[in-house]
Amino acid sequence: MPDPANNSEILSALKSAMPFQMVPGNLMQEIAAICTQESYEAGEKIYDLGAVADDVFIVAYGSVRHTLSADTDASKHEKTMRSGDVFGWAAVLEGQSVRMAATASIERTLVLRINGKKLIKLFESDPAVGDVVMTRFATLINKEFYVPRSIADQVPGFKQALNASNLQGSEVTTMALTVYRISTWLKSPRPYLMLIGFALFLSFWMLSVEIWKLPRFVDMPGPTEVFTEWFSEDPYYGLSIYTPEYYKHIGISLQRIAFAFFLATGLGVPLGLFLGWSKKFREYIFPLFEVFRPIPVLAWVPLAIIMFSGSETPVIFLTFLASFFATTLNTMLGVESIDESYSRAARCLGASRWQTFVHVVIPGAMPYIFTGLQISIGVAWFSLVAGEMVSGQYGLGYVINTAYMMIEYPKIIIGMITLGVVGYITSAMVRMMGDYLMQWRVRELALGDN
Amino acid sequence: MSAVIDENLGSLADVTDGAISIKDVVKIYDPDGAAVMAVDHCSIEIPAGEICMIVGPSGCGKTTLLNAIAGFHGITSGSIHLDGELLCGPEKPQAEPGSDRIVVFQNGALFPWKTNLDNVAFGPMMAGKLSKEEIYDKARSMMADAGLSGNENNYPGEISSGLRRRVEIVRALMNDPKVLLFDEPYRALDSLTKSVMHEALLEIYYRNKVTIFFITHDLEEAIFLGHRLIIMSSRPCKPKKIVEVDIPHPRDYSVLTSPRFRELMNEAKDVVHEEATKAFEAGEKEG
Ligand SMILES: Nc1ncnc2c1ncn2[C@@H]1O[C@H](COP(=O)(O)OP(=O)(O)O)[C@@H](O)[C@H]1O
Ligand SMILES: [Mg+2]
Repeated sequence: MPDPANNSEILSALKSAMPFQMVPGNLMQEIAAICTQESYEAGEKIYDLGAVADDVFIVAYGSVRHTLSADTDASKHEKTMRSGDVFGWAAVLEGQSVRMAATASIERTLVLRINGKKLIKLFESDPAVGDVVMTRFATLINKEFYVPRSIADQVPGFKQALNASNLQGSEVTTMALTVYRISTWLKSPRPYLMLIGFALFLSFWMLSVEIWKLPRFVDMPGPTEVFTEWFSEDPYYGLSIYTPEYYKHIGISLQRIAFAFFLATGLGVPLGLFLGWSKKFREYIFPLFEVFRPIPVLAWVPLAIIMFSGSETPVIFLTFLASFFATTLNTMLGVESIDESYSRAARCLGASRWQTFVHVVIPGAMPYIFTGLQISIGVAWFSLVAGEMVSGQYGLGYVINTAYMMIEYPKIIIGMITLGVVGYITSAMVRMMGDYLMQWRVRELALGDN
Repeated sequence: MSAVIDENLGSLADVTDGAISIKDVVKIYDPDGAAVMAVDHCSIEIPAGEICMIVGPSGCGKTTLLNAIAGFHGITSGSIHLDGELLCGPEKPQAEPGSDRIVVFQNGALFPWKTNLDNVAFGPMMAGKLSKEEIYDKARSMMADAGLSGNENNYPGEISSGLRRRVEIVRALMNDPKVLLFDEPYRALDSLTKSVMHEALLEIYYRNKVTIFFITHDLEEAIFLGHRLIIMSSRPCKPKKIVEVDIPHPRDYSVLTSPRFRELMNEAKDVVHEEATKAFEAGEKEG
């Protein structure tokens, strides 16, 4: 049972050490648990050259003289380690079992000792973090001691253990991150809870419709009926994964979504940026915007049909509308959310107003813009289905509506489930696009919580 | 930090640029008619290359003065000159922000969306006077000098707050500024990290001597770093007492335990305490 006061001392000393600063709380606790504290009087030897390298040391307070052996190729052989400094890293090097330096305390000094092997074992359980800490070790060794890369290269890498965990290098790819996300996701309880959720839902559906035959559900098709129809090569109502018809509906809905979404983004993002950036512009436009924004899309349906001829344009217009408001508003909020220090810093560093716009306003608003786009793609599907149910020749909304009128109930459910899946995929694509454009955020988050 | 130290490191004799002259500056904030006087006929002369520590209670008007020098807002009357050239004065109430005076912000203002290297290269890239290769070479070597190599391709969010402050100073120095303006940059750091930062700052200063205008309310920090302390009155702010720190540079942490340090500490403490009490009684909130 660790003494809590002691434990918090150990934790704060660990946090002051550069390689450990990014370690998340729970792993930090585990590291703290394998730390021991030891104090040395002034002038006392800590270890000698050639001694067995078992532990890594962190100075909690005091100072330590660190003398590298004369035959190491360092440009500076002597160094004073103060609180927060880490030494004794031979203990985590691969193929290095003895001390390459001699160390002695200069004054009364308290150090933390961490067994190198145990530390590496802990990191193997969390390769992503381990890799970061080890990369920092390597940097430290390289920087502080001017030793050749070859020694730093003995730092064990955890990259093999988890290809995707290379969060430190600049070559993080979206693919690697996705793999990384999926692998951490699979390790968490979430996917299993999710499966249980689905199972519960399906069994409730099955029980209420097919087994108990509850009165409220008499006309409702049961899961067996729906799935048989959906996966049938010769569907009774003419719509299944084997009919080209099915893909045509999906394709046309997607086409409309894409058109409306890109139009809304192309107009909404610049408009939002300027609304946020120029106070004057905002005073002209924003009140107008605020009057139109709360009008629900459904209220626009009649006007859309009157305004636009044909069956295609009204649907796209309706889909566009809600997306456009969400995107513009969030982009504007994004610009407003940017800390004033950033634009002041840019001005200090000599950036013109336009340069500040390009280098500060746009990237600074990016997180909000992508929140906006997430909302935008969601409301786009919502309005699309509304539009397709009233007007239009094809599309998933049309499928649901006609199936209802023709009393082909399983088709309604097929249309609904398909909408859910396709909608989810499109919003995942928007999120991936955001991650790709905002590597800096992804990496911050990846280091912050996992 | 045990590099060969030469006796000249603390001398200002060879610094020619960066003298700030603040004369009779008054700043009145006037949001909807409720006038707040933040700075009252404040005059300070800062010689080129000095580390001038501005100490005063929260809300007394220190940031206001710094923002006037930086050009983030105007002044009501008085004038500020840099090396004899007018920054702001009667005909020109607000100074133009520029890379001769760079602010290091209280909460840090490295752009989180740019890598550390891109941050450091930002100023010269905007100026566009040098080629991209030249700029990035210089940025890399300045980062290396400040012990930051290995962090070039990381984003600021990936490195410790201590390292971030260092990157921010290097980013400023890339532009060969005459003055660095610090607004309580180490306020949020714990005392351990702070002490490391102080030594790193002095180390950087010994290599690139620029005038440093440094706001703090930490007396120990002020005496450890500064050539001179200007202790401000509670709001409206004006110099109340000036303390010359006659401890020779280069300094390291052993200074903290020297008797002279204690003496200076005591000399300054009473004044600071008195002003802080006044500010407290006037009900000032953190500014
Ligand atoms: N933009 C502003 N409008 C009105 N009053 C302000 C403004 N900025 C600061 N003040 C007031 O001016 C005083 C000095 O503020 P500041 O310079 O930030 O103090 P310090 O940096 O010394 O803590 C405070 O009372 C603060 O409330
Ligand atoms: Mg302030």
